[in-house]
Amino acid sequence: MIEFEPFWLTFKLAFFATVILFLVSIPLGSWLSKKGNIAKTCVEVLVSMPLVLPPTVFGFYLLVAFSPENAFGGFLDHWLGLRFVFSFGGLLVASVIYSLPFMVHPIQSGFSSLPPSLKEAAYSLGKSRWDTLIHVLLPGIKSSLIAGVILTFAHTVGEFGVVLMIGGNIPGKTRTASIAIYDEVEAFRYGNANVYAVILLILSFVVLFTMYWRNRRTQQVRIL
Amino acid sequence: MGTKRKMLSSTFALFMAMAGHAQNKITVAVAANMQYTMDALKVEFKKTDSTEIEVVLGASGQLTQQIMQGAPFDIFVSADTDYPAKLAASNFAAARPEIYTRGVLVLWSVKPGVQLDPTLKNLVSENIQHIAIANPTTAPYGKAAKALMEKYNIYDKIKSKIVTGESITQASQFIATSAADIGFTAKSIVISNQMKGIGHWIELKEEDYPAILQAAVLLKYGQENRARESKKFYDFLVSPPAKEIYKKFGYLAK
Repeated sequence: MIEFEPFWLTFKLAFFATVILFLVSIPLGSWLSKKGNIAKTCVEVLVSMPLVLPPTVFGFYLLVAFSPENAFGGFLDHWLGLRFVFSFGGLLVASVIYSLPFMVHPIQSGFSSLPPSLKEAAYSLGKSRWDTLIHVLLPGIKSSLIAGVILTFAHTVGEFGVVLMIGGNIPGKTRTASIAIYDEVEAFRYGNANVYAVILLILSFVVLFTMYWRNRRTQQVRIL
Repeated sequence: MGTKRKMLSSTFALFMAMAGHAQNKITVAVAANMQYTMDALKVEFKKTDSTEIEVVLGASGQLTQQIMQGAPFDIFVSADTDYPAKLAASNFAAARPEIYTRGVLVLWSVKPGVQLDPTLKNLVSENIQHIAIANPTTAPYGKAAKALMEKYNIYDKIKSKIVTGESITQASQFIATSAADIGFTAKSIVISNQMKGIGHWIELKEEDYPAILQAAVLLKYGQENRARESKKFYDFLVSPPAKEIYKKFGYLAK
């Protein structure tokens, strides 16, 4: 039986993860693009960590950290009423951390490619920092922003290992499309797995195609 | 130059030696939950035979898929009976699958306040938010756990609390890290050296759930390539010394 809930869930997850990462990565990317000390290098390394860590390791640490019996998970559970294991919120937190480099890296390189004179000119014409960011800097790195959004969205849609480790496979809450496909393959229902995979393929193609097509003219920075 | 050539020829000699050795080696695909039991079985088998046993671990379903794709395994030791039957039906087996042991379902929690009731009444209680089981469509222990909950007419009431691990190992991980408050797992896991003494558990009544029978099957690949060695280890799996080992590791001799 083919259900559409896993797809809805997958795209909901990818959408929220992308929005959160977009907002987080602009200040973070801007800060990282400036010359820095050893602390900044450490942050850079931490941001890149998810590229190296296997999802099983990462997922296991999150499972332990989110567990209500541990200090961090206990704090969330007791004081904020949040339970991150086996919940959509938990998957979202995991996805945000796990896709961090895919948003930060393009934005960071976008910021470092802007000539400092651009910002200085805006300041000397009396623009505030906020105005400069919104009307000068961000339009200047538009293609990097788009690259970041596409990469993050695509990476979250394709996420599997971490979701498998901390999701608990609950229909409608944590059973994403990639997990549904895995389940069908495991149960030898290749036909269903195939249907799920084709739907995911087509949906992903359409989403990415729309984004690329709309931005076919702004391609100074090519990340993919 | 001289040393280089010497190194090259000695490496070659080493490979030849290894290749010669391989004649006396069989590869056994083993369900992951049998890992420690298999280590003990290997030690016991070694006492009477010089055949090397190479073990490849995996989930029964995945190993079955690999065998169907032509993986070079001589024997398959499954955690259930369906996968060996499937292999036999698809003409990959050299003989009828044999049941070698039977698993025991337990209810396990590492949370101090959680009561363990063999009739499962307290699973509806408020302080239990997540109940871990293995995937009931693919894992035999998951199937048994679901059947048990259905028997006590509680499954529909607590459905929303159930979290599913892809295997019995992952379900156990959910319980051991107390991410899930309580859960169903295998006795062989809670009495293993790694988990011994962690939390508390009770054995569930055998007559309350469908028997978790585990079967092994001698594969055509083994029959064709190493008939004698494969058959010998296959027979050993159902021998009395092997049965003693199963008992020690938390299984029932069938």
